[in-house]
Amino acid sequence: MNQQHLAVYFDYNATTPISNAVIEAMAPALHLFANPSSNNSYSIKSKQVIVEARESIAQLINAQTQQMFFTSGGSEANNWAIKGVLFKHILQPGHIITTSIEHASVLDTVKYCVEHFGFEVTYLKANAKGYIEVDELNAAIRSDTQLITMMYANNETGVIQPIVQVAALAEQYDIPFHVDAVQIVGKRQIDLTQLNIDYLSLSAHNFYGPKGVGCLYIKDIKSISPLIHGGGQELSMRSGTENFVSLIGMAKAAQEAMQDIESWDKNNWNCKQHMISLLERAPIEVSFNGSTDYDKALSNTLNISVAGVRGEALATRLEVLHGYIISIGSACSNNKVKQHSHVLLSMGLTEEAVQSAVRVSFGHFISIGDVEGFVAKFVNEVKALHRISGREYGPSN
Amino acid sequence: MYNDIIINNFSDPENVGELAIPDVKYELGNPVCGDRIEIHLALKDNKIDEAKFRAWGCATSIATANIFCSSIKDTSIEQIQARNTDEIADMLGELEPSQQHCVEMLNELHIQLLALIGANVSVMVG
Repeated sequence: MNQQHLAVYFDYNATTPISNAVIEAMAPALHLFANPSSNNSYSIKSKQVIVEARESIAQLINAQTQQMFFTSGGSEANNWAIKGVLFKHILQPGHIITTSIEHASVLDTVKYCVEHFGFEVTYLKANAKGYIEVDELNAAIRSDTQLITMMYANNETGVIQPIVQVAALAEQYDIPFHVDAVQIVGKRQIDLTQLNIDYLSLSAHNFYGPKGVGCLYIKDIKSISPLIHGGGQELSMRSGTENFVSLIGMAKAAQEAMQDIESWDKNNWNCKQHMISLLERAPIEVSFNGSTDYDKALSNTLNISVAGVRGEALATRLEVLHGYIISIGSACSNNKVKQHSHVLLSMGLTEEAVQSAVRVSFGHFISIGDVEGFVAKFVNEVKALHRISGREYGPSN
Repeated sequence: MYNDIIINNFSDPENVGELAIPDVKYELGNPVCGDRIEIHLALKDNKIDEAKFRAWGCATSIATANIFCSSIKDTSIEQIQARNTDEIADMLGELEPSQQHCVEMLNELHIQLLALIGANVSVMVG
């Protein structure tokens, strides 16, 4: 990988750079051609690869290997968990609880089930700190609630949701509980022996693995409908010849994460604290969206509203003039529909604050020096946009 | 992504600023995306002698304001009035769907300018 590029990439929540060890593990696997479902001497190695990959990914979240089902990534895992549980109730559709800050692969899947099959849904809003209130979830539970689905850590704010408490409620009321853990796996320790979670989605490319491969943890396969019928792979829950080159990559990424997760998190936390400190001392006005406490938010994510600028314009100047990559809270509109972050709106931010928001997310390839270089350019470009607007503190002043 | 015209005019816009005593001053806003452009003009001998802008908005809208100011400087009112909508759209180059609102803003900048200086308010339709 080009180290120069990695120093300017601050969009790790969109995807992480693939690690060199993962690339090196995957390359020889391209020569493995045998179908693992065959019974011949060539297929033994292919089968072995799949067994080892399942062991590695299970260890990462402290689950049992037979509970790990490979998917094409987080979106497929989310779709499968939601549809797979709800299809069991297709003749008596009941109630779903989710939140308004979920990824589109959850929100759109829930919406599909509501619109096409008659399920009802309660969307819980996040509070100003970015997490849902457990009391509100408790109050939303009905006698016919058939699924609770929510994310572990939010992709835009990094805020960690109260999964432990919700898991306890789900257990108390015997409600299936699905967790979209795509953003937290590989960043913080997850121990499924300590949590009453029925289904958990993860994706390899969010922890330095390849794109197009992920997993759904299923505590009890009898509780969920199969996703793909056919050849019997994945215990007949998701048929299709396995993508074992990608599985080798995901397994290597999982092994690296298990070994280095604490040092990665420490580096991220130091970088985040340093970035906050530099921005608070800079001659610009910023506010951080969502909690920045260690136990309430991922160490690698900072969502920042900058007074007096449009986030889109700031991100564009950083990329065009300096090569930095970040994400924005509000996309350009087609003149008819506003495209503001549903997460930040759910938290109660004003439209102006959402339009001025950018997301900075980083990982273990980023150093304190990279952070200092980034913040210097960030501040300069905010000031440049202030000069263009002629306003120091936003459009209303 | 952005075309080279937008990048060049957004990265280092040469017409940023205000005039102390503008002959014409007007502001344009887009209620959906919130983009705002303020134009300051000085007129001389039936021409635009000086054009400055302030803008708050997306990269393409800031570039649009700069492109507009550059295009009308040292240009007669008749020449500006003669532009049709196709010519105006071409000034921004090829845009993505989400950037198309800036073509409407550029059109509106022309319409308001011509209205304010008493010329025919309708930009010719190409």
